[in-house]
Amino acid sequence: MFYAGLDIGSTITKVLIKNERKVCTTVIKPTGAEHRRLANEIMDEALRKLNLTTANISYIVATGYGRINVPFADKQVTEITCHMRGINWLFPSVKTIIDIGGQDSKGIKVDNGKLVNFVMNDKCAAGTGRFLEVISDLLGVKLDDIGEISLQSTRPTNISSICTVFAEQETLLQLSKGTSIEDILAGIHRASASRIHSMVKKIKIEKDVAITGGGAKNIGLCKALEERVGFPVIVPPEPLITGALGAALIASEETKKISKEELIEKQLKRRWEAVTFFDEKPTKG
Amino acid sequence: MKDINKKTGLARAKDIYNHRSKRARELKAEGKKVIGYFCCFPPVEIMTALDFLPLRLLGDMDEPITVADGYLPTVMCIFYRSTFDLGMKGRFDFIDGFIGAHACDGAERTSYIWSNYIKTPCNFFLDLPHVDKGEAVSYFKGQLNYLKETIEGLAGKKLDIESLKEAISLHNKQRQLVRELYYLRKPDPPLINGSEVLQVMISIMMIPAEEGNALIQEVIDEVKTRQDIPDKKNGRLLVWGSLIDNIKFTDLIESSGLNIIIEDTATGTRPFWHDIEETEDPLDGVARHYLQEVKCPRTFAETDTSYKEDLENRYSYLKDFAKYWKVNGVFGNIIRNCDIHGYEIPAVKDYLESLGLPVLIIEQDYSTASLEPLRTRFQAFAETIG
Repeated sequence: MFYAGLDIGSTITKVLIKNERKVCTTVIKPTGAEHRRLANEIMDEALRKLNLTTANISYIVATGYGRINVPFADKQVTEITCHMRGINWLFPSVKTIIDIGGQDSKGIKVDNGKLVNFVMNDKCAAGTGRFLEVISDLLGVKLDDIGEISLQSTRPTNISSICTVFAEQETLLQLSKGTSIEDILAGIHRASASRIHSMVKKIKIEKDVAITGGGAKNIGLCKALEERVGFPVIVPPEPLITGALGAALIASEETKKISKEELIEKQLKRRWEAVTFFDEKPTKG
Repeated sequence: MKDINKKTGLARAKDIYNHRSKRARELKAEGKKVIGYFCCFPPVEIMTALDFLPLRLLGDMDEPITVADGYLPTVMCIFYRSTFDLGMKGRFDFIDGFIGAHACDGAERTSYIWSNYIKTPCNFFLDLPHVDKGEAVSYFKGQLNYLKETIEGLAGKKLDIESLKEAISLHNKQRQLVRELYYLRKPDPPLINGSEVLQVMISIMMIPAEEGNALIQEVIDEVKTRQDIPDKKNGRLLVWGSLIDNIKFTDLIESSGLNIIIEDTATGTRPFWHDIEETEDPLDGVARHYLQEVKCPRTFAETDTSYKEDLENRYSYLKDFAKYWKVNGVFGNIIRNCDIHGYEIPAVKDYLESLGLPVLIIEQDYSTASLEPLRTRFQAFAETIG
């Protein structure tokens, strides 16, 4: 039996298919303005890689910002629970998860495999992937490279602001002063880490700490966060996929909860169509 | 009672909720005078006794604030900015009297600015002490006398004791009916959902008390025998804090795996939970009720005791609510810049968590346009409970 987790984030869509024993395949694609509608194609791609058809998948759980109306998902669960489940499966010792996504960041507390508390950033891009995107654009450096570059800094500059727009202005000011890109980026990562840290602190940071989401792929940000937290943090081998992994784990659990007939009935209800957002009936939560 | 569209019970409540001033305008056309008032402190009994229709002034989460920002600072409570915005746009142009109140600093500021810029024929500002004992009660009674005199002028007649007593018992009947309605939420799942209750609560603040009482009775009878009750969900929620007056908000909460069971808010239990005591001078009972029994953090219930005893003293009613209605989670609703409730958060959270109740605090923007991003928070909260 196969189980699928589909995590439609604000920036990246991830699909993971697993069976009872292991992860069989993953697909990671940008969500984009139009691509988000095409989550079913990304799902198809994953199925093709395994030579499977939709009927082979026992249960599909959708998560992430785009989870609300997935016509082929059997259940929707928040990315908060899914990241928690994914990380708990990979690293059972983790008690605090810091998820840095494209448009939001979250702190998640785990206790004995259960979600006990969480905190999310308010309506502001500071402390999210979007903040780093804006700055890397401004500096003309590739987003993938900013972390490494920041590590070469010798005298990190002070970016005091907690607002993306103001940080942008401060960055320009530093550039005109002749500050090196390395030092600016180190300052940017520190500012971002400080913002995320002060948010997650509200739910008490306890060992072990794991970082997930796109932000975890940025070594500069991880180091800056480690400095703030005061001890080493765990970064999963593929931090983008923990949400989809958690969703697939929940999918396999849900399968066991219901009878074969109910399962088939659910599968027949799936519509293999593009994902819409908020204007349709939600997938049953 | 004349009911033009002949809807009854929940359907009627929905109709009144959607067209809030419709009944008031109809009655006005028949010669009745309408008094708009702020929050749950101006005594509706005095208005009813003088044959006014008391109409609760609320904001509108669907209407962007465009005019009010020229008069009120944006760091102020969005609910009152919205209410004033509607006033400036003529939404309440039919009211004959306006009673503002020192419910909080936001309400006070707005009351004065209202009487300056919105030309309601009769204006009164009700001062309300922040403490609830001793001389505060007699001071407040004095203020109620001023209120009475002002609206006697508008009514063109004196308030007689007997009509005030009748009005008190009519509104006490309403309080009893509201509590009866709330008891229907005790089963799991509740017999009536949060959006339906909200529609009823808003409705009874927009129509005369007798019609309101008849409406609640119809709803109770309808709900008791209905088949289509809400789904069973993970969470049974106590809502504490700033008011909620739009069902898009309660719909969002209830579509995220939570049933709203009881609301300790200014559109929920607060104005209705205690009856007004019958006293020889009815104003004594009225003064004590509004000052001591309408639970809102705007009134300091002082205690000279330890932190723990103080919490017990101030919030034990929430423990009783939680126990009786078997709630398993609390949503602390803060309208952005509501200092009254915002400053209370650390203490109330401490208290509720010590009872083993998980608490979700959200500071929201009092706008339906910014509701959807809250879905993940509510759903994740439901998942922590489940």
